[in-house]
Amino acid sequence: MATERAGDVGSVGREALAYADTLHNLAHYLAGNDPDAQDLVQETYARALRSVHQFTPGTNLKAWLCRILRNTFVSEYRRRRGSPVVGGLDTVDPVPDVADHEIDALRKVMADELETALMSLGEDARTVILLDLEGLTEVEVAEVMGCAVGTVKSRLSRARAALRRRIGEAAR
Amino acid sequence: MTCADARDLVLAHARGALAPADDAAVREHLASCPACARVDNAERTLSEVLEQRLPQHPASLALKRRLAAEWPPARRARRSFKRLWLPALAAAAVALVLTPLLYHRLVVVPTRREALVTEAVNDHVRVLLSQRPADAESSDIHQVKPWFGGRLDFAPAVAFGGDAEFPLRGGTVGYFLDRRAAVFLYSRRLHAISLFVVRADGLDWPARPLETASRGFRVIAWRAGELGYALVSDVSAGELRTLAAKVRGEPA
Repeated sequence: MATERAGDVGSVGREALAYADTLHNLAHYLAGNDPDAQDLVQETYARALRSVHQFTPGTNLKAWLCRILRNTFVSEYRRRRGSPVVGGLDTVDPVPDVADHEIDALRKVMADELETALMSLGEDARTVILLDLEGLTEVEVAEVMGCAVGTVKSRLSRARAALRRRIGEAAR
Repeated sequence: MTCADARDLVLAHARGALAPADDAAVREHLASCPACARVDNAERTLSEVLEQRLPQHPASLALKRRLAAEWPPARRARRSFKRLWLPALAAAAVALVLTPLLYHRLVVVPTRREALVTEAVNDHVRVLLSQRPADAESSDIHQVKPWFGGRLDFAPAVAFGGDAEFPLRGGTVGYFLDRRAAVFLYSRRLHAISLFVVRADGLDWPARPLETASRGFRVIAWRAGELGYALVSDVSAGELRTLAAKVRGEPA
């Protein structure tokens, strides 16, 4: 039994390391800089190792690690920096109209402008956009974000609408 | 369907993730509502822009080395003499008994399907961990395939050279169980996809496509003639199935 557990730790560890790039990318967009992102990723792996027995084999390890990373960010970094989540994603307002100039701006946006626009959004908006981009399902995103599955779809729609608007505003 | 309903669904519609009835309702609404059609257009453009232009910030090699060295950490092993050595001695005893059996089962006669799937996932993870996954970096299949010449004892029969949905990133040589494998690297958005092609003789390779999942990765394996094929990635099952059909040359 002990051998099996040790083997599991080893195999989960090998697979977990394959997600280092994904986690560092998410950490960078949460923390806003590389040194904090590196610390955040290291702390994430340390916590993951401590609680590896809680991981259910066959489930999405990447989603599990993303949840640990986000929880670590919320409990350690965000509190330290005193920057609360910017709310507004759970409103029932419909997704607004799109002006033609917004679509033009999207087509022409450069990489650094896109990054600036994403970083100007609240942490929850950035997180839901990046997790979606990583291919996590709505159920997995809900687990990472600690919200209801039904909330994810509307949060994502509003976060993306906010990002489109920021890109459009920057282009004017 | 109202505009508010349609706008909450356009993203899933663009990704083909809606049930047929919902998809038809959204399509019908978009055809008659220019404002929502513009939202649909904007969502599709934003997806493309995020996938292709958003800067990525991968972990540095130094960080990866630190993480690899810490898993499992030495401190955990030092925590308790009993907790370390008793399991270790038990493991050694078990290993002494099991090693010949495992060797026979996993190396000498590697026939079990699970072993193939495990190996495919392990090899995909090795590709992900590599600092330079593709030794032959090219999106041109006519440059990648000739590169394998002299590096393999078979010719990998792969005609699919990638497209806008699944661009080809290159190729490399890997090891699959006891033999060499041609590894073709494709991508889908930010996801890496590995296609392993090996000689299938002596392996219990499924003749008909086998779809399964292991450790969060999806695997599709099939056999064509003397060669075995395995696609591995963390993309959705539908997307991997689409790529498998393209690799097999099946009509869309």
